[in-house]
Amino acid sequence: MFIKLIGGMIIILSSSLIGILLANKYIIRIKILKTFRFSIQLLETEIVFTSTPLPYAFNHISSKIDKPWNAFFHEVSENLLKRNFFTMEEAWNSAMNNHLDLPFFKKSDIELIKNFGKVLGKSDTEDQKKHFLLVYAQLDRHEEEAEIEKKKNVKMYKSLGLLLGIAIYIILI
Amino acid sequence: MKNIKAIEEITNFMPPNISFIINRITKDIIYKTEEIRLRLGRPLMICGDGWDYFINKYGQPVTDIDYSYFITKNDISSASEIIQSFSAYSFNEELRNGYITIPGGHRIGITGKTVLENENIKTIKDISFINYRIARSILGVADKVIKYIIDEDLNIFNTIIISPPQCGKTTLIRDMVRQLSNGIQGLRFKGKKIGLIDERSEIAACFMGKPRNDVGYRTDVLDACPKAKGIIIMIRSMSPEIIATDEIGKVEDADALLEAVNAGVKVISTIHGKDIDDLYKKAELKKVHNNIFERIIVLDRSQGVGTIKGVYDNDKNVLFKNNYEVKEKCL
Repeated sequence: MFIKLIGGMIIILSSSLIGILLANKYIIRIKILKTFRFSIQLLETEIVFTSTPLPYAFNHISSKIDKPWNAFFHEVSENLLKRNFFTMEEAWNSAMNNHLDLPFFKKSDIELIKNFGKVLGKSDTEDQKKHFLLVYAQLDRHEEEAEIEKKKNVKMYKSLGLLLGIAIYIILI
Repeated sequence: MKNIKAIEEITNFMPPNISFIINRITKDIIYKTEEIRLRLGRPLMICGDGWDYFINKYGQPVTDIDYSYFITKNDISSASEIIQSFSAYSFNEELRNGYITIPGGHRIGITGKTVLENENIKTIKDISFINYRIARSILGVADKVIKYIIDEDLNIFNTIIISPPQCGKTTLIRDMVRQLSNGIQGLRFKGKKIGLIDERSEIAACFMGKPRNDVGYRTDVLDACPKAKGIIIMIRSMSPEIIATDEIGKVEDADALLEAVNAGVKVISTIHGKDIDDLYKKAELKKVHNNIFERIIVLDRSQGVGTIKGVYDNDKNVLFKNNYEVKEKCL
């Protein structure tokens, strides 16, 4: 009897943990998008006010921001400075493959970041400002969308996990 | 050793194909090279003092154009991206001037199609001609002239260097600054505080704030600042004993120099010209004609880059004259 109870509890616990884990995906996506916004705001300051060349600007900001962006920007900077790649786009994409291959991202997020890498540093300050504004607008949309999905799914996955656990327990009894 | 470093520094700013080829050129040729030229759709070329070669894809000098390596569109666009550190916004000012200085003090000349805005050059697009100019800063070129600009009481004279382009005036002023700033043992000259206004980032070749060329221990550098403004800033903020600046030519420059001299600061400068009379012909510099410069050094390249043709004082008395003319007649 006692063993049955413990077994049941383990089933319910693990099932609801799986629920929480699945729900977390939506929470983390928002967090990562927000840190991305923060890091490119820093980058914009480097470009607009001090017009630091990109490899050095990436290096500066990489020490001020959180995972996974710190490693990402650091690698782009290294790629360019050590001449592992000879164009900005290649350096950016290679670092993306190494650091941003995360399950939290949607395809559209990846596309957004990739396109941003294509225009960075290609034009004068005024034009760069416009590109930044565009990315902020796009990020707004992505964050909004992520927020809606979070609201919808987080609660669902959490309760689904719990309920599934209880259901399995009842069936096994 | 120095040569290897210079070549490394410069190939670091070349596209992969070109740097591969340049690295395969034999040492005796590459060490004499002064320029490496990339022209869209034309052969890769290297030039030295009075010679040039086409280069084939194995890095060998060839005389037949058909065997040489032709520069592709890819090479040029990749090169221009690397030269600008992948950041066009950061090098607008430099592009407008047509050259970019890279670590090591090397200069990369760029031409293409200029974009005009209100009759001023806005930027250069369609970059298709690139010239890598290898800088070899030579320590000790000022040894010959330094004794003429220091008097018995170990004060220095206001000095101007007159020289046509490509004759080593920047190299000379750099070495003078270095020696005056460090002090000269042989003359028992103690170093002086020097304010260096480096409008074109040529003398000190600052990169991210740090001078890449040795300009001495007691030198403060104001990088990329217009000379006229820079001289005033230097006097106010850094209390220099000597102010050094490159290529004066505008009315404001002359005003600022005058102000420096009146403030009791000594000045060292350069202008473009062929002979001592060229200094007095320039209308913009009328204000400094009246005996501001107590020493005038004239350069040419009759015996190689940086030949000192003569040193004069403010009454045009000859203090030193190179008697190469006699030699030329003998030949």
